[in-house]
Amino acid sequence: MHMFAILARLAWRNLWRNHRRTFIMLAAIVLGSWAMIFMTALMRGMVTEVIKDGISALPGHVQVHHPKYRDDPSVANLIPIPDSEMSAKFAAAGLKGWASRVRVPAVITSEYDSRGVTLLGIDPERERGLTFIDYDEIDGRFLESVDDPGIVIGRKLARTLETEIGKRIVIMSQDPDNEIADRGFRVVGLFTANVTAFEEAFVFAGKSTTQKMLRIGDRTSELFAVGDDYRNVDAVYSQVTELVDAGVEVKSWFELDAYLGTMLKVMDGFLLVWVIVIFLALSFGLVNTLVMAVFERVREIGLMLALGMKPRNILGQIIIESLMLLTIGLVIGTALAWLAVQPIKEGIDVSIVAEGMDMWGMSSVLYPELLLRDVILANVVVLVLGFFASLSPAWRAAHYEPVEAITKV
Amino acid sequence: MTAVRCVDLCKTYHQGEEKIKALDHVTIDIVEGGFVCLSAPSGGGKTTLLNTIGGLDKPDSGEVYIAGRRIDNLRKGELAELRLRNIGFVFQAFNLIPVLTARENVEFVMQVQGVAAAERGEQALEILQEVGLAGLEDRLPADMSGGQQQRVAVARAIVSHPALVLADEPTANLDSKTADGLMELFCELNERHKTTFIIATHDKRVMSYAKRLIRMLDGRIVDDIEQNAT
Amino acid sequence: MNLVFRLAWRNLWRHSKRTWLTTGAMIFSNVLLIFMIGLQFGMYDLMIDNTLQTLTGHVQIQAPGYKDDQKMRQSVADVAGLASSLRTELGSDRVAARGAAFALVSSEDRSYGIAVLGVEPEYEGNVSTIPGLIKEGRFVNGPDAAEIVIGAALARNLRIGLGQELTLLGSGRDGSFAAAVVTVVGIFDSGVADFDRSFAEIPLRFFQDMFYMDGAGHQVVLTATAIDDVPELQRRVAELLPAGEELVVHDWDALQPGLKQAIRADMSSAFFMYGILVILVAFSVLNTQLMSVLERTHEFGIVLALGLTPGRLGRLVLLETAIMGMLGLLIGALLGAILTAYLGVNGFAYPGMEELAAKFNLPARFFPELTLPTLLAGPLVVFGFTILSALYPALRLHRLHPVEAMRAV
Ligand SMILES: Nc1ncnc2c1ncn2[C@@H]1O[C@H](COP(=O)(O)OP(=O)(O)OP(=O)(O)O)[C@@H](O)[C@H]1O
Ligand SMILES: [Mg+2]
Repeated sequence: MHMFAILARLAWRNLWRNHRRTFIMLAAIVLGSWAMIFMTALMRGMVTEVIKDGISALPGHVQVHHPKYRDDPSVANLIPIPDSEMSAKFAAAGLKGWASRVRVPAVITSEYDSRGVTLLGIDPERERGLTFIDYDEIDGRFLESVDDPGIVIGRKLARTLETEIGKRIVIMSQDPDNEIADRGFRVVGLFTANVTAFEEAFVFAGKSTTQKMLRIGDRTSELFAVGDDYRNVDAVYSQVTELVDAGVEVKSWFELDAYLGTMLKVMDGFLLVWVIVIFLALSFGLVNTLVMAVFERVREIGLMLALGMKPRNILGQIIIESLMLLTIGLVIGTALAWLAVQPIKEGIDVSIVAEGMDMWGMSSVLYPELLLRDVILANVVVLVLGFFASLSPAWRAAHYEPVEAITKV
Repeated sequence: MTAVRCVDLCKTYHQGEEKIKALDHVTIDIVEGGFVCLSAPSGGGKTTLLNTIGGLDKPDSGEVYIAGRRIDNLRKGELAELRLRNIGFVFQAFNLIPVLTARENVEFVMQVQGVAAAERGEQALEILQEVGLAGLEDRLPADMSGGQQQRVAVARAIVSHPALVLADEPTANLDSKTADGLMELFCELNERHKTTFIIATHDKRVMSYAKRLIRMLDGRIVDDIEQNAT
Repeated sequence: MNLVFRLAWRNLWRHSKRTWLTTGAMIFSNVLLIFMIGLQFGMYDLMIDNTLQTLTGHVQIQAPGYKDDQKMRQSVADVAGLASSLRTELGSDRVAARGAAFALVSSEDRSYGIAVLGVEPEYEGNVSTIPGLIKEGRFVNGPDAAEIVIGAALARNLRIGLGQELTLLGSGRDGSFAAAVVTVVGIFDSGVADFDRSFAEIPLRFFQDMFYMDGAGHQVVLTATAIDDVPELQRRVAELLPAGEELVVHDWDALQPGLKQAIRADMSSAFFMYGILVILVAFSVLNTQLMSVLERTHEFGIVLALGLTPGRLGRLVLLETAIMGMLGLLIGALLGAILTAYLGVNGFAYPGMEELAAKFNLPARFFPELTLPTLLAGPLVVFGFTILSALYPALRLHRLHPVEAMRAV
């Protein structure tokens, strides 16, 4: 321990001997670590938004379907268990959130035009807060119960169909016997979605109303459940699996949407690559600084060796010096990244590229997300790699011949 | 008991075509408590001999013993340990660690040895006083004169009471009065602790303190006389 | 060789390790920049091509307002005639007329609401990749045959195969009921199931009859030989429009506003990363050149005392930097070109990229592009910043006082 104290003191003093060089190097490390962490926070925020939006559109962390439903999302492939039976089980299980819904392709026709949409027969109370619909942001009103006779459609769709609140539209689909199933609805509300494509894709009606229209009795197309953390759905997954019988398919969100599922993994990998690239760009300067430092200190290193310091102590001294430099830079860089995130915590508006963000599946407000995990990752990677990068100059310093070194001018 | 024994040491440097014999069949025994002056013209091999005895340099042939232990075949780490525990060094040119103050330089060896802070601080102050540097303890080497730096180096060499002190031109930058003071300090340590001193020097006054005077020329010992210290 | 150049060259190699480390930083970032920029632009080109070539084309002639509302009555009169006269005037075959309507397609078992496109069978292949994606059967044939081609996923969901009949139900331009029975003659597969489920193609004349279009259609689609020729094409088409008829010419950016913005959003984050990389290299150079000036203080003092001006010394330092920068540029560009050319042939994949790429109609392997701009843009910027960062050390020389400088060690 006393040796460490000596080495640390020597390293610290040596660090400030050539303060210009140290400051330039520090500036580089600060910039590098700031960029690492700030960029990571933005990317994380972006990915989290994409995934949350994606999950609220799916919706849910875990979904239950008829095994054939995903390839053929029609009324023929309903969950074989009656809805009331399932609902009773799920209500008793104490899940954080869940709902069952009817989901079928349909045609919506107004006086002027028609379009293909996905009709969702839902239980509005159960789904509150679990999907992309914000009930309070509805023009008109949202559905009030499972047998609400009205329909809620997207604002964009309303424009295309030239319809509005209070007007009637006709929904047409099929019943399980391939007979046309249709019903007139009054538009009671218009919703807005982050992703404008949703405004054209989905229409919402009451679950019972829809079941009646499709003549499917007490059956539904899908059931979804939500856990506490989208990153860890194992608990919800096994809970749901236990509640439903065999003969249905249970899938978690990352299996349901390959894009979302890989996004998280790819992002983790990408962030590591980014941190390493920045480190490599820094490492040339770091090694250079150390090489210069060792070079101009040959004689005193020789002296210390002559006085009886061991080579590994010299090695240690150079490495400590390098790690000190990196640590100071990292601390400042991390602090600056934290500060940089503060003013934009409430979200930065990137609506100039809104439709582009839409295309990447993102909304036009970006919330940076500074995770402790990422900060630690960046810092640890830099320190560990910095340690290895310092080994070569430090090794050289430790293996000088004392006599030669001391007489060198 | 011999403190230092050199047997038939040879060391040749090659400068291009030319061969320089820095040590040429040197054999010496120095008793414990010896006070030896090495004198030779510049380039005579003094520094080479001191470095070889201190384990900093390896001879081409021959053997070196310190306190009866053969050292020319030891590994680097063992040599470092030996120098740290048993030998005090004063180098001819570059002596002090630039980032440490006078006091810290003196404490350095003790600190590496693991001596407690309070103890070594006290000893360092004391010894700096003895070499006449009271008040300059907290100066960095760059802020001291050549002579002052030399004295810090001497203080460092003797502060931990090594059995053997190897000093290369310790009085080179000193005025005669300070040089005398330093030599008297050496003599006193030699008397009190039986510390063995080997001092390379050109200075006649320094030689007059020696109990034994060895003259070298072109790497050979040409003269070896016991003398009575004044 | 010029004396000053020789001096600069020798000075550089006084500390060869330092010079190589600094050059190494440049080489590293140059290689990375060439690869990344090549990959990025290769990917953008693919994104644009793949998105536009399936259906959109580069330029479309439409009725005003059709782009946003896509209503049946926002039509282009005598669309086939217009397309044919454009083909003559432009001397290009890459022009095709289309009509678009919404219809309910029904097989025996199933019904889906999809978009039905009326296409000119002999010209559609020049503006769209769909005819080339037919996996089973053939493309529609003859101008008014009762034939249809549908996507593989839709065929599966409709449970229908080649030669079987489908019923189309919709409403005509005048709002009247429109119906027809068509035979499936071809099945295309684009690889994206949702896309394949969303539309089907029938011959244009048949479309016009069925939907009471009276010779009208909704779009004339044109493609340019290269994306850069689009503005020119758009201008010429606008000049050739028949007088008296109100029509608009949209380019692909207007038709797919998300595309350019998606690229822009991606570009801004990429350029942030490149910027950081370049600045880190600049710091490295600044450090090296400052050190090299500081350690020569004594020597510079002597030449100043001999009567050399600080300006000339400054130029010497800049020349040294330029030589180093040039080395970095040449070696970096060479290695970058080799790497990129290699990957341009063999492709580059990253775990998880397949799923992400599929979302944007991109293949699983990327082939970075190597053109003069993608090769030189990065290295030239790095070179510029290298010279810039040597300015400070060079200008510092003006503050040097010969006598003081000579006292320095
Ligand atoms: N590393 C070396 N390479 C080549 N020759 C050397 C080297 N070290 C010493 N010598 C030569 O060996 C001889 C003895 O050198 P040494 O340093 O021992 O002399 P010295 O007696 O200490 O001289 P001074 O009084 O000038 O310090 C000299 O001729 C010197 O030139
Ligand atoms: Mg000497």
